[in-house]
Amino acid sequence: MLRAIGKRDRDIFDEVWPEKRKIVLKLLRQETVSQLEWQELFFGVHFVCLWDEKGAAKIYEGLQQDIVEFIVQAQSKVQAQRGEQALLATYIVEWRKFFTQSNYLPLPFRQLEQSPQVKPASSSSSTSSSAIGGGGASTSNAAALISSQVPSSSSSAKPSTSSAATGGASTSAGGASNSAGGSSSKKSPTEDSPVRKLMLDSWNKHIFHDIKDRLQESAMKIVHAERNGDAYDAQLVVGVRESYVNLSSNAEDKLEIYREYFEKAYLKATADFYRLKSAEQQQENGVLAYMKYADAKLREEEVRAKRYLEPSSFNILTCRLVKVLIVDHLNSIIAECPALIRDYETERLNLMFRLLDRVIDGEGVEAMMGDLQRHIKSAGLADMQSASEIITQDSEKYVERLLELFNRFSDLVRNAFNDDPRFLTARDIAFKMVVNDTSVFKMELPTSIANRGVKYTAPESKCPELLANYCDMLLRRTPLSKRLTSEQIDARLRDVLLVLKYVNNKDVFMRYHKVHLTRRLILGTSADSEKEEDIVEWLREVGMPADYVNRLARMFQDIKVSEDLNTQFRNSISRHDAINIKILNAGAWARCSERVSVSLPIELEDYIPDVEEFYKKKHSGRKLQWYHHMSNGTITFVNNFGRYDLDVTTFQMAVLFAWNQRQHDKISYENLRLATELPDPELRRTLWSLVAFPKIKKQILLMEPIAISSPKDFAENTMFYINQEFAIVKNGKSQRRGKLNLIGRLQLSTERSQQEDNQSIVQLRILRTQEAIIKIMKVRKRMNNAALQAELIDILKNMFLPSKKMIKEQLEWLIEHKYMRRDDDDINMFIYVA
Amino acid sequence: MADDGENSVDNKPTDDSKPEKMFTLKKWNAVAMWSWDVECDICAICRVQVMDSCLRCQAENKRDVLGRQDCVVVWGECNHSFHHCCMSLWVKQNNRCPLCQQEWSIQRMGK
Repeated sequence: MLRAIGKRDRDIFDEVWPEKRKIVLKLLRQETVSQLEWQELFFGVHFVCLWDEKGAAKIYEGLQQDIVEFIVQAQSKVQAQRGEQALLATYIVEWRKFFTQSNYLPLPFRQLEQSPQVKPASSSSSTSSSAIGGGGASTSNAAALISSQVPSSSSSAKPSTSSAATGGASTSAGGASNSAGGSSSKKSPTEDSPVRKLMLDSWNKHIFHDIKDRLQESAMKIVHAERNGDAYDAQLVVGVRESYVNLSSNAEDKLEIYREYFEKAYLKATADFYRLKSAEQQQENGVLAYMKYADAKLREEEVRAKRYLEPSSFNILTCRLVKVLIVDHLNSIIAECPALIRDYETERLNLMFRLLDRVIDGEGVEAMMGDLQRHIKSAGLADMQSASEIITQDSEKYVERLLELFNRFSDLVRNAFNDDPRFLTARDIAFKMVVNDTSVFKMELPTSIANRGVKYTAPESKCPELLANYCDMLLRRTPLSKRLTSEQIDARLRDVLLVLKYVNNKDVFMRYHKVHLTRRLILGTSADSEKEEDIVEWLREVGMPADYVNRLARMFQDIKVSEDLNTQFRNSISRHDAINIKILNAGAWARCSERVSVSLPIELEDYIPDVEEFYKKKHSGRKLQWYHHMSNGTITFVNNFGRYDLDVTTFQMAVLFAWNQRQHDKISYENLRLATELPDPELRRTLWSLVAFPKIKKQILLMEPIAISSPKDFAENTMFYINQEFAIVKNGKSQRRGKLNLIGRLQLSTERSQQEDNQSIVQLRILRTQEAIIKIMKVRKRMNNAALQAELIDILKNMFLPSKKMIKEQLEWLIEHKYMRRDDDDINMFIYVA
Repeated sequence: MADDGENSVDNKPTDDSKPEKMFTLKKWNAVAMWSWDVECDICAICRVQVMDSCLRCQAENKRDVLGRQDCVVVWGECNHSFHHCCMSLWVKQNNRCPLCQQEWSIQRMGK
């Protein structure tokens, strides 16, 4: 050392380098380097840089020569290999050696980093200390200053006696030593080193460039062999990949070289392999087996990719595989779908779904959804049609059938498509079509309302009506509701609401539901009043319009108020123990239904003034209207045979009491009409219920002539008389005592009011549509037709589905009445007119 | 409703002994509807049917549980009728009937 300093004027590089070069070569060849030699190298480099102005450049140059020389030797070794495996093996061995050294060799040369002479060769991202660089003399001073700190961190990688070494930097040792393994996630201290870059670039230039094609080819052959199930050495492929990754000296994109060559080659090899194989497989084994094959291979390749590729390549590879294995076979795969759905092959469908779901644009899945939708619709309708005989008559059977279908399809979606939201939607759409289909049965809403430009309405599914009927069977005291436990009834009511979700015209359901509820409350035939109120809340929960639901809730309140009133009434006058009154709020119960006049039997008529008197004392400003078509009662009937209690409507009472004065007479239709003052249709219906009440052996009334088969056939002179042989027949025996209900289904509405009800539904829809259009336009001011329709349907869908035609008619009406106008330039644009 | 059916049978001496009455009444469940005795069934102030709660009451307690007797109808001397709620707000600004401009004074209230 001192000797060198003494010869200050001599060329210090020439003096020192030859000795140090030997150590460098030893390092390159991975020969043993003693601790002393290692330290010498540090010192020598430092010394040259310190005393020789051009030292750094000279060292760099010398180093380059040596490295290139070494690499050329290695190259010839590798090139000499003929066999693929041998080539790869040799390459990897050489590379590993070299790469390991690329982690150590730069350490002694850290000082070069600071030298401006080396800068141009090194990457721009070099250390920050470069700012200090200036003229020759000052550089060396600065370098000396820094050298006392910087080497301290690097030198700790190897045992060192460097004067400034402190214990603090020992952590970097791990980083330096493990980076040889290839996965250099941690930044080792040598990574930015110009020497390291020099080494890697040289390797790249002198070896890699020449043989990369051969390397790739060999690697791919190994992968190919693996795919064919032959023996292989995976480590070779992994080694090659590592060399590709580590070779990159580009700090910003470490995977550049890897991506450009290795990944590309791998992708191509994979695609080529499976293009051949997949065609072969499909031809040999058919599409179904092929799906299994594709699925297995996709998984297999995923595992393989984890071994051979960098994580960044996984997605690209999967994409490519999906293209080759699935997209290229899409049509033949999808062609199998309808048959699989038809046969409920859930496992295979699930497989198909998983495969097609990998396709990015979703084309395959969409096709499957279409198939599912078509199947549900056609199978559902076919099922309904085949059973149309029963289900059009029997709401219970219908709803049960519908639910069974629904569950079957839901199971399909769950098992085959994992309840994927897209398929759930497809199911819902199809189910909607089944529920709202009009081919099995339909309900006609009136066609002739001259009002507001409505010319006719389309037929609608009867489904909402049947649902309401079914609800009624569950909530009323019926054989069905008696048979079921409370929980079963709850479950079924929930089911009804489930189906109701798919019904377009919920307003029809609500109307029938209300009619049934009215009947149950008036006759007191609810099976469970708690359930009655529960279902009102459920209807609210499923999004029924609040005003519909509130009206139902008001009926419950009202019936309670009325019960209190009845108690008070009965307490006030002792004589009236044969009468119960229900005085109800007309707003909640019967806004539009018409009253029927009837001449009451004197026994009933007597009560009326008392009730009215009582009510007037209780309330003021109210008027009462009697709804005799809703009222009913029990009468005792005595004939030659026995005595019977009959539950009858007030109309039936009025008719029957006509015989009290002349028990054995025959009374003509005409005279009965005069006696009861009932309107013709009501009288016919009432008489029919007395001469031909279903399911009883002996009727109360008999007629002449006997051969009349419908109430329409009663003539003015048809005669009626009391059946003196009437008896209640039980088990084939006539009973002397008994109770019989002749009310049947309480007729809440007359024929005319029924028609009015239908019209009122249409009318209400019209108003709702107009209201909604105005509501939207008021906010939007300007809106085109399509957007308006979409928003309109969204608002109305919980009540009914407005038809295109109806929307159009109402738009015209609103335009005509100057609520809005069309844009002058765009006929499809509407403008709100305040 | 189904109470004292027995009594009524026992109390009637006419039943068996006098066969001329073939049908006798045992029980009658009479149904009637009440509505406000008004000329116009829409409240001119809130444009809601007087049988329903007024607009404000509907908005405030949408789910009132008790009998909704609170939103009653009021008649003026002019015989025009409105929701009482609506009218009491109206007279704060203008003590005239909205329909005929007569001085407003209450003739009677619904109960």
